[in-house]
Amino acid sequence: MSTITRILNRYKNRRTYNKKEFVDKIVRVIFMMSTILSASFIIIIIIFISLKGLTPFVTSNSGIGSVNIISFLTGNVWLTGTAFQSSLYSIGFIIVNTLFIAFLSLLISMPVGVLTALFIAKIASRRISEFLRIVVELLASIPSIVYGLFGSGVILIFVYNLAEAFGIQSRGGNSVLATVLVLALMTLPTITAISEVSIRSVNKDIEQGSLALGATRTQTNFKVILMSAKSGIFASAILGIGRALGEATAVSLVAGNSKSGPSLGVFDITSTLTSTMLEGLKETTGIDYDIRFSVGLVLMVVILLTNLILNYIKKKVGSIDVK
Amino acid sequence: MKKIALLGMIVIGVFGLTSCTSNKEDGFDKTKTVTVYTRDTSSGTRAGFMSGIGFNEATEDNSVLVDRFVTKDNTGILTAMATDEYGIGYISLASLNSTVKGLSFNGVEPSIANVINNTYELKRPFNYVLREYGDYNTIEEEQIVKAFIAFLGTIDGSDIISDKGAVSLDTNYTWDDIKGNHSICSSDNSGITIKFGGSDSIEKIAKALTESFVPKCGDFVPEHDHTGSTDGFKRTQGSEKDGDNAKHVGFASRPFRPDSEVGAPGTQGQLAWDAIVVIVHLNNELIDVTALDLKSIYDGTLSIWEEVIN
Repeated sequence: MSTITRILNRYKNRRTYNKKEFVDKIVRVIFMMSTILSASFIIIIIIFISLKGLTPFVTSNSGIGSVNIISFLTGNVWLTGTAFQSSLYSIGFIIVNTLFIAFLSLLISMPVGVLTALFIAKIASRRISEFLRIVVELLASIPSIVYGLFGSGVILIFVYNLAEAFGIQSRGGNSVLATVLVLALMTLPTITAISEVSIRSVNKDIEQGSLALGATRTQTNFKVILMSAKSGIFASAILGIGRALGEATAVSLVAGNSKSGPSLGVFDITSTLTSTMLEGLKETTGIDYDIRFSVGLVLMVVILLTNLILNYIKKKVGSIDVK
Repeated sequence: MKKIALLGMIVIGVFGLTSCTSNKEDGFDKTKTVTVYTRDTSSGTRAGFMSGIGFNEATEDNSVLVDRFVTKDNTGILTAMATDEYGIGYISLASLNSTVKGLSFNGVEPSIANVINNTYELKRPFNYVLREYGDYNTIEEEQIVKAFIAFLGTIDGSDIISDKGAVSLDTNYTWDDIKGNHSICSSDNSGITIKFGGSDSIEKIAKALTESFVPKCGDFVPEHDHTGSTDGFKRTQGSEKDGDNAKHVGFASRPFRPDSEVGAPGTQGQLAWDAIVVIVHLNNELIDVTALDLKSIYDGTLSIWEEVIN
């Protein structure tokens, strides 16, 4: 190869290299733009909700008087006095209700979800586990209103009869228990799907080591595999509780929407932050409308705090040798 | 593993037990507490119900109601009453079906016929009021408004009204029969805006009516701004009739006040009834209820079914 062709070739390579670099740059800009777009939406939403949500506290609400933030966060009656003429709103009991319900629903969906995940990942034959995985994915994609309809058509009647069997008169089944059952059903697929992935990614060596040491399958599954996957299982709980805290439609169909509380009995009617926001939203105006944004603001803070706390615990719990 | 199997058996057992109890047939237990169902404070049906039973202060105030009442929407109350043997609630008459029992009010059965012949009392009128004749910017505006009011009385209009859940008044002629009297509707009115206002409970019906009437009357432009019954009269013939919010047609979901809302002759009338029916479970022995009883149930004075039924 002569020197000239070598130089020419190098020049050619340089040109194609430059072209590739240029395309790379454009792609990078496109990616950055879409990131900025989605990030700015979050910021715009937060600003909008905050502005609307803070209005009832800082303005006089066209002469009604501003809402006292302390009693708003601690009180136990949603609204004292006549709607549109009173600023005495409080959601203290609703915050308690919301956390209580989310916790109870997790108490049901966690064991069931994790055991299902263990079955799909380790115990079931390949064909069955393929089939079950499709079922779980299907459950996860069912819209919440469908769960709500199932709740009001089936779960309410079940809870009503259950209460009657215990000799308790429930309010048409609208209760803490009905809400918890609906939410447990809704969070189950999320918990199962994520736990399954984390169980599957436990190192085979640990499992075989345990079996080689003479532990039975069941002992290995519970004491070795679940222990090793606990970090991932915890992550599924975080996502599950997020869904439980944020669900509105299905909850408002089965909660009974109590206006005072807190409701700690399982057959008592209840209300959550989301169901309170949703009720009458389309028909109301003025302070009664703006206050729903304040509730939304509190809900965002509650979800953020719950996630932070759970993430902190998750780090403490740690994880053992996961691929 | 054994423990899990045992747990599973218990769960199945409980399900089985409750499904058995759901099929039992042992009459209505009068010693049970009444479970009160209501709409939320922004509901027009709630306003109609509370004023109908003489409990106006409960229209927008939950604190005067009995403790631990259940808040649901129209369908929610209807389906709840199919399950809850000891519940009581109210829905709009149009949604009543055979899964629940509709109670007679003050001795009169809830039916469309009884609403129209004005014997059934748990209802409120949907009224309209127009600007005074001669008090319009142009003669065309006045003629379109007159044509619209004539349309309300036709079968076409009453179909739309019943479709939106209200009880329309008796009629026996269609728009085609009378449109010859309203020559304005055969010309092009697309440059004319007609403003509608007043009661927000009537907003849905009013919008459906104009939507259907606009193409029948030269494509005039309807503008809806529904702010409440009081503004219905105020903005057509009252203190705001010449202000920025002035309207051509106002609506009120209650009778016009005889002292302050009497307009020029022929400018006020009724387009429909909004009837509400009190419902209970089919097993409930109650068949008739009075306004006073209902008020006592909703404010918590009567809390056991025994007290209501006797």
